[in-house]
Amino acid sequence: MKASEFAGLISECCSEVLDAMYFTTVLDSQLKESMPEAEPDEADSLSFDLQFVGHISGHFGLHLAQATARNLAANFLGEEETDISSAEAGEVAGELSNMLCGSVMSRVEGDDKFVLSHPEPCNFVVRAGVDDVLISRLDTDNGAITVWVVIDGEPCRP
Amino acid sequence: MAFNILIVDDSPAMRRVVRRVVDIAGVDVGNYLEAGNGVEALVVLRTEWVDLIMTDINMPEMDGEELLLEVRNDPALATIPVLVVSTDRSQGRVRQMISLGADGYVSKPFLPETLSLEMYRLLGGTPNESF
Repeated sequence: MKASEFAGLISECCSEVLDAMYFTTVLDSQLKESMPEAEPDEADSLSFDLQFVGHISGHFGLHLAQATARNLAANFLGEEETDISSAEAGEVAGELSNMLCGSVMSRVEGDDKFVLSHPEPCNFVVRAGVDDVLISRLDTDNGAITVWVVIDGEPCRP
Repeated sequence: MAFNILIVDDSPAMRRVVRRVVDIAGVDVGNYLEAGNGVEALVVLRTEWVDLIMTDINMPEMDGEELLLEVRNDPALATIPVLVVSTDRSQGRVRQMISLGADGYVSKPFLPETLSLEMYRLLGGTPNESF
């Protein structure tokens, strides 16, 4: 399976997860050639990455502005945005990456089991054309979220 | 009757959300107990009275599958209801956890009503009317 085949799934799964648990609506999604560089500013943004292992293995990640993470955390935790700390915004962004990846992989793997690693903050950049990668920008009513899927070369089992 | 509920998840944020849903559902909770993985959960289970275990699957050190096996193989813990709350929605995983002894399975993302109904099914009682 190629990363490009995830395009529809990413949009569908992200909409479902963001709507159900973050009370956030995906307004538009676009495929991108590379990760955002200048926008949002790196100092004010968060990136998380986790590994998935199943019939298909690889990495799943997301990148979003701190302000977006704070909005999502407030919705997720049922708190006021002003009461959300940077650490809480990071925790919730990590959990979002876990839920998005789990949602996508459940559809991909169907009846088969898969394993997800713990989401970790990351600062690497993936680029279409270099890796087998799909990068998608989701515009939501709480800000933009960029997600990516990188497929490893060899299929393996959990 | 107040229930002691053990929430096992490596995400502190998710543990908070589950607590909030339980509160909104109106479950009479004596104590919320929390653990970040299966190893920590077993320590709690061997020192505290627990009426319901709500556990994630993918966790470091000891995952939810191993925790479930430990609980079901320990005569002192074997009768405690276990509700799995996981991002893994694959039917293979659901069937496996139920066959290993899980009493229920709720996948993330979940609607608060879904989690609440499963809890009431396992603990007895009726959901809060706000659901």
